[in-house]
Amino acid sequence: MSVPLSSKTVRDLRSIVGAAHVITDPDRLLAYESDGLTQYRAAPSAAVLPASSDEVARVVERLHGEGIAIVPRGAGTGLSGGALPSEGAVVLGTARMNRILEVDPDDRLAVVQPGVTNARLTEATRPFDLYYAPDPSSQSTCTLGGNVAENSGGPHCLKYGVTSRYVTGLTVVLAGGRVARLGGSGRVASGGLDLTGLFVGSEGCFGIATAIEVRLLPLPASVRTLLAIFDTMEAAGHAVTGIIGSGLMPAAVEIIDRATIEAVEASVFAAGYPKGVGAALVVEFDGTEAGLDADADRAERCCLEVGAREVRRARSEEERLGLWKGRKKAFGAMGRIAPDLLVQDATVPRTRLPHVLASITEIGKQYELRIANVFHAGDGNLHPNILFDRADPDELERVERASHEIMKLCVDAGGTITGEHGVGIDKRAYMGLVHNETELDMLRRVRGVFDADHLFNPGKVVPDAVETPAEPVGSERASAAHAEAGAP
Amino acid sequence: MSATTAFVDALAGLDRSELGAHAGLRRALRGSGLGPPEAILHPSDTAQTAEVMRSASEHGFGVLPFTSGAHREPARPSAATSPNRPWLGLCTDRLRGIEVYEAADLTLTAGAGTSMEEIDTALRANGQWAPFDPPHARDRSLGGLVADGGFGPLATGYGELRNHVLGMTAVTGDGRVLRLGGRVVKNVAGFDLVRAVTGSRGSLAILTSVTVRAFPLPAVDLVLSLRAARLEELLEAAARVRTAPVLPASCLLYERPDGEGEGAVLLVRLHGAASTVDADRTRLAAHLGRPLDVVAADRAAAAVVHARDAAWGRAVRLELSARPSRLSPLLGIVRAMDPVELALDPFTGRLRVGLEAVEADTVETLSASVEAAGGALRVSAAPSPGVVGMGTTLSEDEARLTDDLRRAFDPRGVLWPAYA
Repeated sequence: MSVPLSSKTVRDLRSIVGAAHVITDPDRLLAYESDGLTQYRAAPSAAVLPASSDEVARVVERLHGEGIAIVPRGAGTGLSGGALPSEGAVVLGTARMNRILEVDPDDRLAVVQPGVTNARLTEATRPFDLYYAPDPSSQSTCTLGGNVAENSGGPHCLKYGVTSRYVTGLTVVLAGGRVARLGGSGRVASGGLDLTGLFVGSEGCFGIATAIEVRLLPLPASVRTLLAIFDTMEAAGHAVTGIIGSGLMPAAVEIIDRATIEAVEASVFAAGYPKGVGAALVVEFDGTEAGLDADADRAERCCLEVGAREVRRARSEEERLGLWKGRKKAFGAMGRIAPDLLVQDATVPRTRLPHVLASITEIGKQYELRIANVFHAGDGNLHPNILFDRADPDELERVERASHEIMKLCVDAGGTITGEHGVGIDKRAYMGLVHNETELDMLRRVRGVFDADHLFNPGKVVPDAVETPAEPVGSERASAAHAEAGAP
Repeated sequence: MSATTAFVDALAGLDRSELGAHAGLRRALRGSGLGPPEAILHPSDTAQTAEVMRSASEHGFGVLPFTSGAHREPARPSAATSPNRPWLGLCTDRLRGIEVYEAADLTLTAGAGTSMEEIDTALRANGQWAPFDPPHARDRSLGGLVADGGFGPLATGYGELRNHVLGMTAVTGDGRVLRLGGRVVKNVAGFDLVRAVTGSRGSLAILTSVTVRAFPLPAVDLVLSLRAARLEELLEAAARVRTAPVLPASCLLYERPDGEGEGAVLLVRLHGAASTVDADRTRLAAHLGRPLDVVAADRAAAAVVHARDAAWGRAVRLELSARPSRLSPLLGIVRAMDPVELALDPFTGRLRVGLEAVEADTVETLSASVEAAGGALRVSAAPSPGVVGMGTTLSEDEARLTDDLRRAFDPRGVLWPAYA
């Protein structure tokens, strides 16, 4: 239940950002109750939409001065409940901070406000033959501010790395409204701690980035995309091992399994996969035109050597999009065949993929659950998706038990609980699987360095010293819209 | 027996050595105002390291971690550290050996004291390498390299070292053992403390083990060069490389005396399959409007090392950075200081300057210009201890966050930071 702000607080906020940009109407606040992980819902006290770093600072100063917590929010496509409002909190949305402040083609960098979408930045830099490399699948919607908060990845981070590699400096609003500049591409010789790198991935718990300086890369001259079809997941896994082991460095290596292919083929997103196949593997190379066919040929041989049924190669951009279609639309398709979808993103060492995938299948059988796998195979970042119906309490309980077992399986295999979605509220209870109490205490201390009173995104990422498990609120269905917007 | 000696003696089972055996450390201590350490201890594992730190913390000792110390920047006591405070040297040379190397996963975990040479040899035997090339990279220990967070010209093509540190075991100033990150390339399970510790120069924690990402060795490593009498003559060409449609593995513009006489060299490396490298070379030449010379294969490795280590070994070393396009006027000021060697990375905007001597007021003047250009400057070596560490300062907020982070990792100020 939301806790209303005092009329004076609302007045003050309106004087800072303008009356139209302080939302207190319960109907309009519905949009701020959850992010892409819709099973968690809570109403904020208000939503405030500042337009500048200065306005953010004044809003933060005003609210923190009264001890009111702030939950930062980008586009709301996150999949870990990171933007879930805590009780009494105000959501601070960055939607109006959507200006590209600078594109410097000479120094290959750009400075943007946090509400700029990932895809728009690449569009703005394309005329200079440059682009922004991290490409989460929600890139048409998700914002750079959200990417910074989550240290987002994407299919192409196998070759290019995740967000933190590209963020070179930040302007941030810290607790109490202090504006600080961290790093900056020209300041690498300062010899100071990597505060920018530490801030990236802090999930809104350290402050709010209001200007983001990023490094840009030259657009790859060409691209080659392959789709290999396998009878078994095991064979697809061997193909990945063969490709990486041969010294090739693909830009992306993605796998979708039988359950996912069936869901895709039964949907409006049907991509033309043959019936009864066990797995499909998308492999993409990019770079200088001259070497790409040789790379693609080698990858094709790797696939055929381990028994690929067929290997298709895109001859045009249209064909390339066709090969990617099944992968990109997988989440949308699954949203249509089950009322609810639990998306995980544990990561394991790539060589443990066959063992882990086989074990996930066993867990699915044991708990009588449908589990579909879509994942970034090149870097071991799994996305086992558990399909279920929250209205069935027995099934819901089995989902929760199976989910815990999958997490534990991945950690025991040398992996971790989240590769790119973040901990948020959803995986907080699993943090004990990867960190002991000493390490959790250190995470709390570091958070305290930035925000001693925990007024930025309280209740996220690090479990309390004595944990009280967070319960999902409500029984919202994983809608197709959610899956479209936030698909990893 | 004094109480302090008793505490050191109580750390039974640890190897010890004398300061005389550590020429590198002695050099790093010169001018620091500190006396010799009470002892130099060589813990053999994380547990022993933690025991040393807990005991030191309890007894009010400082601790300085090092492997050889040869590459440590000169030590400066922080304002909070009394020069008379007793301290221990903690040598990580026994924390050595490759612990896990999963070639198929492209990850390697090794003790912090493991030499990069040993790691490089193991990786190359599997057709892989670690493209981390700060000066004297192969002579460094993995822990020292990561603690410094330094990077070389290969950062252009491969990203800085800090992007490839996947995990670490670290011991805090008060002896808490932290296992941070992991062995996977994507990991967002909690705040990125690996980033905080990498490059903290031993001021937050002592590394005992580190996991890094490995890369497939490129089929071809083509080294190209342009020569001129002075570095300034090659600035425009370097800027053209930066805006070329080809991203090189590295690009460094340097000036240092060598066997072929004094002069400036623009050294560019292209990595990839033979056909790719060949095409990239052609595209690069077209963009520059002139071809680059190919450095003969038998001389390429030496040329790369010669460039990498430029401006490192002189009596005075300045580390300067600015946005690449703003470096040119700063170079003009530096030139007036009569540098012996220069190394300019046109992609990352770093300029390293080697001098025979420098005056404090000259550094202050340069520092003001660098600050005005939005850059940073640090004197990382100088015979005069008053000059080491001079340069631009962190902002008030960065300084406060840095101090608070140090307190979080090292509440009693045991880890004697290399920087005030």
